[in-house]
Amino acid sequence: MRYEIRVDGIMSEAMVGSFPELEHVLMSGQTVLFGPVIDEAHLFGLLARCRSLGLRVLEMRQLPE
Amino acid sequence: MAGFEESDSAPTAPHADPRGDPFLRTRFAIPARPAMFLRRDRLVRHLDRSCPTPLTMVNGAAGAGKTLLVADWATGRTEPLAWLTTEATDQQPAMFWAYFLQALRASGMPLSAELSCPAEAAGATDAGRVDHPLLARLAAELSARDLPVTVVLDQYDRVTDQVIAEQLEFVLHHAGAGLRLILVTRTEPLLPLHRYRAAGDMTEIRDAELAFTPQEAAVLLETHGLRVPLHVASALVDRTRGWAAGLRLCALAAKESPNPERYLKEFEADRSTVADFLLAEVLKRQTPETQDLLLKVSVLDGFSPALANALTERADAEPLLAGLCRENAFVEDLGHSRYRLHPLFGEILRAHLRMRSPGLEPALHRRAAAWLRSSGSLAETLGHGVAAGDWDFTAGALVDDLAIGELFTGPRSDDLAALFAPMGPEATSPAADLVRAARELSRSDLEHGLTHLGRARRSLEGLEGSDGLAESEGDGRPPDEAPGPVAARLSCELLEALAARLTGSPGRAEMAARAAEGLREEIPAHLLERHPEVTALLLTHLGSTRLWAGRFEDARAALSTVTESPGTAVTAAAREECLGRLALIDYLDGWLCRAEHKALEATTTAATMATAAAGTEGPRPAQPPDAAHPTGRALPPGAAHPSGLAQAPPSGMARLVLAAVAVERGELSHAQALLDTTDGPDGRGGRAGRGGRRGRGGSEGDPLDPVTEASRVIVAARLLLARGKPSAALAAVESAVRADVVSPWAQGHAALIASAAHLAEGRPETAVKLLQAVPDVQAACVVGAARAQLAAGRPDEAIDLLDRVRPEGRTGPAVTVRATLVRAEAAARTGDAAASRGLVAQALREARRERLRRPFLEVGAWIRPSLDTAPLRVLAAGWLVPGAQRPVEAPRSEDRPPPMVVEELSGRERDVLQRLARTMSTEEIAADLYVSVNTVKTHLKSVYRKLAVNRRNEAVRRARELHLL
Repeated sequence: MRYEIRVDGIMSEAMVGSFPELEHVLMSGQTVLFGPVIDEAHLFGLLARCRSLGLRVLEMRQLPE
Repeated sequence: MAGFEESDSAPTAPHADPRGDPFLRTRFAIPARPAMFLRRDRLVRHLDRSCPTPLTMVNGAAGAGKTLLVADWATGRTEPLAWLTTEATDQQPAMFWAYFLQALRASGMPLSAELSCPAEAAGATDAGRVDHPLLARLAAELSARDLPVTVVLDQYDRVTDQVIAEQLEFVLHHAGAGLRLILVTRTEPLLPLHRYRAAGDMTEIRDAELAFTPQEAAVLLETHGLRVPLHVASALVDRTRGWAAGLRLCALAAKESPNPERYLKEFEADRSTVADFLLAEVLKRQTPETQDLLLKVSVLDGFSPALANALTERADAEPLLAGLCRENAFVEDLGHSRYRLHPLFGEILRAHLRMRSPGLEPALHRRAAAWLRSSGSLAETLGHGVAAGDWDFTAGALVDDLAIGELFTGPRSDDLAALFAPMGPEATSPAADLVRAARELSRSDLEHGLTHLGRARRSLEGLEGSDGLAESEGDGRPPDEAPGPVAARLSCELLEALAARLTGSPGRAEMAARAAEGLREEIPAHLLERHPEVTALLLTHLGSTRLWAGRFEDARAALSTVTESPGTAVTAAAREECLGRLALIDYLDGWLCRAEHKALEATTTAATMATAAAGTEGPRPAQPPDAAHPTGRALPPGAAHPSGLAQAPPSGMARLVLAAVAVERGELSHAQALLDTTDGPDGRGGRAGRGGRRGRGGSEGDPLDPVTEASRVIVAARLLLARGKPSAALAAVESAVRADVVSPWAQGHAALIASAAHLAEGRPETAVKLLQAVPDVQAACVVGAARAQLAAGRPDEAIDLLDRVRPEGRTGPAVTVRATLVRAEAAARTGDAAASRGLVAQALREARRERLRRPFLEVGAWIRPSLDTAPLRVLAAGWLVPGAQRPVEAPRSEDRPPPMVVEELSGRERDVLQRLARTMSTEEIAADLYVSVNTVKTHLKSVYRKLAVNRRNEAVRRARELHLL
């Protein structure tokens, strides 16, 4: 399954580096991380990573295959 | 304030944690507020108002100021207050509760001696478990207090174990007004919060309330020397959403900038993520040395200046860290010369480290591991060794510390197994091979285990006489402390003993034990003291192998050394195994009560509560849908129900012995239930189910050695026999148990069961022959042979056999009662009814104490007239046949023994009975069984006779009572 996580603010290169498994695009003051998510555990792990990096998650959704 | 002070007058920790490591005192200290801390009265007042509620939750994002708020509030309190900073290592309930109790002690609360460390409580528990009585006692002591004690659990989000949440809820609930719990957490804990909310028993301070108001932000900036008008502060609050860490970084960055006001404007307009942007800003304003230090220590959790120096390879960590603390930038002072990065900044700094110096992380971990190894912290050493990907080093650290036994038993076993799981083939040191062998043997994977063990042994012998192991180079450990090859060789012998046990090779086990004995003298005493599990495991393996070989006395000597030694968390599993095996010896000798007693002792080791049991096997009352819960997250089953804290399931061998005892007592459903919950012959299914998320390790599975396998076969076959399924019993004992040598008792009991099966099917000559093949030193077999001779119509030979061996000697009632009954039957056949009755009376008296019913059920119909005589009826009343006076210790109703002695039903009679129970007519039964109606009627008649009934429905009912259906 593929997911997209929309985060408030422009993430720096270093910050994006904390999500090496995902790609990202910057748009209108937000960062969109997207890519394959292995399972639920991975999904929750990504959320926890956002939390521990002080990121504000605006949206998280599954992408159509 | 009643927190833990640095002074010597503070209560000192009398105990080490369940792992045997000293308590980290910094975890009981209320964090110090930095100089520029801003007290916000509205939040302090809210906390003050929370006093009547038993539960307070301060819940907010990283850097929201939760910990400092509570720490500041706590410092002003006069009532007893305990502080505990939880850590990820507290996932084991025993570790969590050990620290919890220690936090109470550190706060000055007097705890009774009974509330010792969970690991020390009541003999021994697996450290993955906590004594349920211990929690009940804790709750009772708390509820008896005049003054409630406040316990703050900081960073509670690190505790993700559901069992701990359930236990915490149990204590909180039962402590009543004696305990106030304050949870400081980033995520919602797994407590039934909706209930507390609904009852008004909970105070919540969440992100929205923790957020700074513009006024507060203005004051905060002012403490950093920045005066801003309210609208600027307001804009900043908008930008940061009132996030404390963001505002603080913002103030730091602005202060350093040449034009703070412009800087704040730029920040306001910038669209970067707040922490990221600000941290980069603040970081780039630090000196290169400070930046280097911050980036490098980001790979550590907590650290001392010395460790930081080891990473930076400079000597300036101490003043730099002190400076950073003063500035309240990035670093928190934990006291006792220990620091940690603010968790939020730690993550971001690590991201920066990866970008700036790709590839440096493993090297930093390697440095940290080497430094920690010389300073003696094994757990941290291993963690960094693994993070560095240096398996030879990591395995070497484990083996040199003589900690290999902890892969099998004790609180660390799961962690260690998980730690070494990713180890690849590139590690070639003997230590790496030992670790591989240990992991494989612990999964009873003999083939791979033996290969790696052999390779480790060969490389160790190659090293013999040389100065040190390859993996002990350059680790900074003083040479006189490096046991090097000796520890590795002792580890090797330990695994050898286990391999011998799993393969059933007594000679090999004795050799390993002797070699180990020699090596022990060369090992530094403190290492052996620190690792009692090595000795305990060795003796367990040795005793089990001797047991397999039928040397019961020698086995008992080895096994009871373990059970009689003081229990600690790391030896708990070994003690349990040893008790299980001692119970088996008693069972094999015919002593039911002794066997039962030991098996129960093994299963409870004082009513322990397994993490897995509480979570998965406890009763599961229906949970109402959790509508009030804002996240909609379902509560874990049993979380809201302290009654869900179930008793631990007995370990495999103890269950088998209990099942065997139940068979002998005619409690067949109970036996079946026990047998069903032990591991099957494949061993994996049951274990995985019971082990749950704890995986293997600890007590949930004895190793699959031939002793366990043979016992399982014997018990299962005996149960089949008792249920009147002789051919199934025969098939069961034919399944061979793989072992290097034949075990006399396993062989003897298999023959005994086969012989009994043949007897039941009316082939006494085959039964005689089977037992003739067994050497007649085993009393049980001699009695079996005598019974077969009797059935074959040779009572004199039966008595001869019994007279020759005199099994009545040192064997227990299960054997002697059977012998007496053979003599009684022989007397009955020769027409000496009085003598027969006398012998039956003797058997009854002996069997009564042990509730030994099976021998009377299996002897056949001849005994019924004797039992019907008045004097014998009295002896049998209450436990064997229904009595006038109810027995005082009546067995539980579902296990009520068969009310009447019955003659075994034949297989055909049973077939008829089963169809009768399905309300089939005689004609239908005849058609179904391809026999004539008359045959069915004959069978029915004998069924009625044997069950002492006259009608169909009575027959069915009685058969159900007797567990025949």
